[in-house]
Amino acid sequence: MIEVIDLHVGFASSDVLKGVSLRVAQGERLAILGGNGSGKSTLAGWLAGWFSGGTHRLTAGGCLWNGKPWDDYTLVERAATVQLVGQFPAQHISGRAFTVAEEIAFGPENLGLPHEEIVTRRDETLAACHLEHLAGRDPFTLSGGEQQRLVIASALALRPKLMILDEPFSNLDPEARSHTLSVLNALPADVSVIIMDTNPDTVLGWANRLFVLHEGKISEFGNIRATLFDPTVIATIGLPAVTRCFLEIERGSGSAENLSRDNLPLTFVEAAAILRRSRSA
Amino acid sequence: MLEVRDLGFAYQGQPLLFDGVSTTVPDGHILAVVGRNGAGKSTLFKLLNGLLKPEDGEVLVGGKSISGRKISEIAAHIGTVFQSPEQQLFAGRVEEEVAFGPRQFGLPANQISERVSDALNRTSLLDQIARHPLDLSAAERRFLAIASVLAMRLPVLLLDEAQRGLDRVWTERLESILEAERSAGKSIVMICHDMDFVERNADTVLALGGRTPRQIPVPAFFSDTEVLAEVSVERPTPYRLREFMT
Repeated sequence: MIEVIDLHVGFASSDVLKGVSLRVAQGERLAILGGNGSGKSTLAGWLAGWFSGGTHRLTAGGCLWNGKPWDDYTLVERAATVQLVGQFPAQHISGRAFTVAEEIAFGPENLGLPHEEIVTRRDETLAACHLEHLAGRDPFTLSGGEQQRLVIASALALRPKLMILDEPFSNLDPEARSHTLSVLNALPADVSVIIMDTNPDTVLGWANRLFVLHEGKISEFGNIRATLFDPTVIATIGLPAVTRCFLEIERGSGSAENLSRDNLPLTFVEAAAILRRSRSA
Repeated sequence: MLEVRDLGFAYQGQPLLFDGVSTTVPDGHILAVVGRNGAGKSTLFKLLNGLLKPEDGEVLVGGKSISGRKISEIAAHIGTVFQSPEQQLFAGRVEEEVAFGPRQFGLPANQISERVSDALNRTSLLDQIARHPLDLSAAERRFLAIASVLAMRLPVLLLDEAQRGLDRVWTERLESILEAERSAGKSIVMICHDMDFVERNADTVLALGGRTPRQIPVPAFFSDTEVLAEVSVERPTPYRLREFMT
């Protein structure tokens, strides 16, 4: 279990996180939404134990994995426990692999696993992530979306207990997006997954819990609707695409139903039901 | 105006990626390039801005061929915002980054500084003028790359996933910049995975990865279910919602 306790951190001359507390239990699927510059990537880095010292400044609080700070774990223990896939796939590629298959094996090799185990993990990951057709390619010749899928695969090959993904879908075509979600959903039940995003659409229907990060502070509202219809959330990240387009259509046509934040559609299924009713009315 | 005529290209040892691709982006027009991952969208940009050489065909700006010219000469006509701004930023200060382009034109100092403030103002980065580009947030870095291209005041703009990962505030800023550039008569090409963004902002679509890439007006493209399936593109939300009403 990961626990963030009153985390205050800064970068250069600014305070980025101003007292963030969060507890993620085993197997939870959590989404953290926030606008650009809200501190999502900084929080992701601290959750994954990337920033202790350096240019990132910790002023109070911290992060604990099973009760101990990341500094108390060895690099190998940490890498086998938590994996962070950041926004820029090219920055994750090791530069020590000539092929996609070698890139996926790079992490397990560095855990010092037996050869057969490395090969098994490499081949299973290639298959599970649908990367077999790219196995012999140089990682740096892949397209942006293909690199993003490779980086997610390389992280999964370490079989972490906590996966953190920072805007993982923004560069993926629809097929790759739904496949990546299915790979995440097929992870063992004790693996926790945290997705950071600016876009509510990508995590609706996936997350068990939804948090909002705004100006360095995190909030969890009562439920998903209360979160998405919060005025600050609407002003910064905007409504889900379905809700926004539905409201535009409604403005033009007028609806037979009284719509409020309790029953405005968030998904296509909900929108279809209302539109079909109003058409037959 | 940007014209691409019968472009042909293959990476070494690989099958032909483009075979006779043609497209025209008139002045004041936005073309969206769409298609699945690995379809060749970013490769097309490299063929336009001279980072790769086509095997066949040519690229024209304002009726003049730029094919075969040096990258620095092409850069005087075509500005590119790459997919990862961190790979294109290199200066130590925001204003230096933006001034670099106009300086290559040999403009006098007052005109350079006027262009720098104008571009930073349009990208909401004026108050970041003295910061290090890599200390900016991801969205600010993207807009700094956009500002650097705007300050060049070029007839053709290429934007590779410029809308990616932007929140509502920054998306609206990008849309107003696109609209202003279109009104100013620029030829704009954007690679985009977000079909709602394409539907709101583009005039025509060039879909890669299907049998024969054709340039299609936005409403016709999103109504053509066969092409959409072929190139693995989702219909934009308003189209999908309107289906439920008929």
